Amino acid sequence: MAKILEGPAMKLFNKWGIPVPNYVVIMDPNRLSQLGEANKWLRESKLVVKAHEAIGGRYKLGLVKIGLSLDEAIEASREMIGTRIGTAEVRQVIVAEMLEHDEEYYVSMIGNRDGAEILLSKKGGVDIEENWDTVRRMFIPLDANTTIEQLTELAGEAGFEGEIAERVGKICSRLLLCFDNEDAQSIEINPLVIRKSDMRFAALDAVMNIDWDARFRHADWDFKPVSEIGRPFTEAEQQIMDIDSRIKGSVKFVEVPGGEVALLTAGGGASVFYADAVVARGGTIANYAEYSGDPADWAVEALTETICRLPNIKHIIVGGAIANFTDVKATFSGIINGLRESKSKGYLENVKIWVRRGGPNEAQGLAAIKRLQEEGFDIHVYDRSMPMTDIVDLALKS
Amino acid sequence: MSILANKDTRAVIIGGVAGVNAAKRMAQFDFLINRPLTVQAFVYPPEAGQQKEIFRGGELNNITVYSNLGPALQEHPQINTALIYIGASRGYQAAKEAIEAPNIKLISMITEGIPEKDAKRLRKLASEHGKIFNGPSSIGIMSAGECRLGVIGGEFKNLKLCNLYRPGSFGVLTKSGGLSNEAMWLCAQNGDGITSAVAIGGDSYPGTDFVTYLEMFENDPDTKAVVMIGEVGGSLEEEAAEWLAAQPRRIKLVAAIGGTCQEVLPQGMKFGHAGAKEGKKGAGSARSKMNALREAGAYVPDTFGGLSKSIKQVYQELLASGAIKPEAELDEALLPQLPPSVQEVMKQGEVVVEPLIRTTISDDRGEEPRYSGYAASELCSKGYGIEDVIGLLWNKQLPTREESEIIKRIIMISADHGPAVSGAFGSIIAACAGIDMPQAVSAGMTMIGPRFGGAVTNAGKYFKMGVKEYPNDIPGFLAWMKNNVGPVPGIGHRVKSLKNPDQRVKYLVSYVKNETSLHTPCLDYALEVEKITTAKKDNLILNVDGTMGCILMDLGFPEHSLNGFFVLARTIGMIGHWIDQNNQNARLIRLYDYLINYAVKPERPVPEKK
Repeated sequence: MAKILEGPAMKLFNKWGIPVPNYVVIMDPNRLSQLGEANKWLRESKLVVKAHEAIGGRYKLGLVKIGLSLDEAIEASREMIGTRIGTAEVRQVIVAEMLEHDEEYYVSMIGNRDGAEILLSKKGGVDIEENWDTVRRMFIPLDANTTIEQLTELAGEAGFEGEIAERVGKICSRLLLCFDNEDAQSIEINPLVIRKSDMRFAALDAVMNIDWDARFRHADWDFKPVSEIGRPFTEAEQQIMDIDSRIKGSVKFVEVPGGEVALLTAGGGASVFYADAVVARGGTIANYAEYSGDPADWAVEALTETICRLPNIKHIIVGGAIANFTDVKATFSGIINGLRESKSKGYLENVKIWVRRGGPNEAQGLAAIKRLQEEGFDIHVYDRSMPMTDIVDLALKS
Repeated sequence: MSILANKDTRAVIIGGVAGVNAAKRMAQFDFLINRPLTVQAFVYPPEAGQQKEIFRGGELNNITVYSNLGPALQEHPQINTALIYIGASRGYQAAKEAIEAPNIKLISMITEGIPEKDAKRLRKLASEHGKIFNGPSSIGIMSAGECRLGVIGGEFKNLKLCNLYRPGSFGVLTKSGGLSNEAMWLCAQNGDGITSAVAIGGDSYPGTDFVTYLEMFENDPDTKAVVMIGEVGGSLEEEAAEWLAAQPRRIKLVAAIGGTCQEVLPQGMKFGHAGAKEGKKGAGSARSKMNALREAGAYVPDTFGGLSKSIKQVYQELLASGAIKPEAELDEALLPQLPPSVQEVMKQGEVVVEPLIRTTISDDRGEEPRYSGYAASELCSKGYGIEDVIGLLWNKQLPTREESEIIKRIIMISADHGPAVSGAFGSIIAACAGIDMPQAVSAGMTMIGPRFGGAVTNAGKYFKMGVKEYPNDIPGFLAWMKNNVGPVPGIGHRVKSLKNPDQRVKYLVSYVKNETSLHTPCLDYALEVEKITTAKKDNLILNVDGTMGCILMDLGFPEHSLNGFFVLARTIGMIGHWIDQNNQNARLIRLYDYLINYAVKPERPVPEKK
């Protein structure tokens, strides 16, 4: 899943004929006044200004301002841009037309194994959760030709009537096109609004997830997906992601503030089980980490150093299953270098290290990391005969 | 027995280097259980027509790479399985072709990063064709004692440790590749090993789900229990629970589910495989999957660590019920050893290999090249020069400062001799013909021989002989030379003479004799010879080749190294001429007719061929 921001989503909607309000994304408040001179809607409509960043709960944080004149919008942009929320900084705002409207609808589409499902309700807006029973659904089989008539019928079932039902059906058919052609995984438009005086529709707010794996066939995707972890990435996370994008195999890292047990674990499946084991034994994880696909030793070394710097950790779990093709000796040489480097910089004071691993060249890898005991590391090394996650039990009992 | 892959499985691998590596691993397994090679062909357009070397034990097989699937299947009609390793952007097309090929029944996709839409379409296509499409992102499929598809099972040693040379009683199903190997190990350690293990891949929409494979295991009489490792996200584990509960099942199910940690993580924080994403309102959470499976009657330990105990328990129950009989432990010593490479055996000192070449001057096996033992960078940092490197590589000795100065002058003096001489002229003609530098310089280089520059070695050699055999008898020396060799190498010049001496010779002789303390028996001898030869004819002087040869002999260089000084020095000049001609963008040259004497027969008719 790769979530994209509102601006790129609006752009894709526009491309496929889903109505959106007028909007601009700006980094510099002065640009807004220039745009105001050129665009009538900026001067004549009420405006909404929102921080264009992956920050949850923007409304409560004062990062959404509504009902503004152009001057007020410029002022609001000036205030918002540069604001720091935790590790995140507001660099962009999206300024959109606040469409006076009569009704708010809900429409979304989410992929599943056999195609996708489209959901529609007349009672959209902030209360959609409470009105969930008004949602009508329709299965859209993979590569099937779903007609506007079928979608209009769905609109009818959801309580839309006459011309409005037809228009909603048409918007749904465009949503299908957008979903299919843009390799979307989910699109949620809430609210889709209507101004009945001129029958104008607009998707006022949208959350869109796209399949980042499909980017090779979308030359016009000029955006990057935003953090999927509910907050912007930290600098350390960003650094590991940069390394990840450059290597064969992968290294991954997510910080979990406040935890005491750091994970330096191998493999997408095993890493999650290690995190589970820590939680099941009453511990708290300081991070999630994963290296897999036989990554270069320097990449594992960088990951190791990042993990050693996590504050207040008491244990590092160097865990992993019995690898199929990741070379234990080579990846461990990266871990060993990272541990040494960190120790020489004053980290790892009172930190216990627990190792369990198997795979190609396991004997040499484990013997090498065990020798760190001679250098004063508090390190405990086990081979494949130790059940995979039992080093977590040992760590938390120690 | 097994599911999916067995002794009759023959595979084509679609993809490049990762596929070839997998084929090598698969051949190790083929060797372990003594079955014919599983991989029969590769399909990879960029390398079409090549053959890949695959060792099955000590037996070398050459497997052909085809440009597309059609011809590969035509040549190898026994192929019934396709493994897809090709990159994500071409994965869909490759898998589609394999699904549509009539002979192929099983398609397993190893490629990661396949777009979800492509995976969904392939799943649908396979079901329409009645084929099994496994993956994407699958590490492979293993049937113990029968067939290995992909690198599943890891290195050779691990195949034995996990009892994969003979079938056991446990089926294995995982999303994760690494955990498939771990699960096989757990089944070997706590039970009697596996029948088949299938990694279905960790993507959101695997081509084939757990239930399909559970049904296959249920129908395989040798499989008595299945170890299933699932994780948060999707509904495959819930469907497996439904399947288990739907009716009494012959097989027992042991399951571990990953992702309970997400309950305590900050909201929205997710990680792991692409498919490991919880849906709305807790649907697909690890906890709900564990509960569903437990309620359906599966053994579900709290943590992965508890899996060992659960497998052991199930194994004991199966033994107690008589469903399986304890299998006699196979003596691992009877299992074949992978033939080691020559390097490995040599390291163990168990084989003697006569070296093909021997070197006594340099070694680059360390961090940097060493010349006769000295590190190149250390020579630089201690102020040595190129003359000293020549001393080390040609004579295995560091010259003294005086000796270095002489060597340097010899090279400086003979670096070039204008464009007219054979060597430079050869390089220039080549440069004008548009030939690249190395070839043009070697064109000049081929000129070096008895008449041009190549007399240094022989001059040194014979003057040295004179010093030894005719120390005080120069006429005797000359007579011997006349009878056995001919003109004395190093004596005589086309242009220069006693009255018009070669300044280079004059300088070199004077420098060596007046400004160094070098002992010069050869040079002295040659100068004595010159006195006699010039008395006979004015131009029979000691020439530059002769002078160099003598001095170099006096410096102690080996006889056969001496021409090297001329070759080395003149290379500098020839490179210079090549650069010069190229800088000028010189045109192709040919000899003018008036420079050639056409001493040929006059024009005449060609007679009829007899």
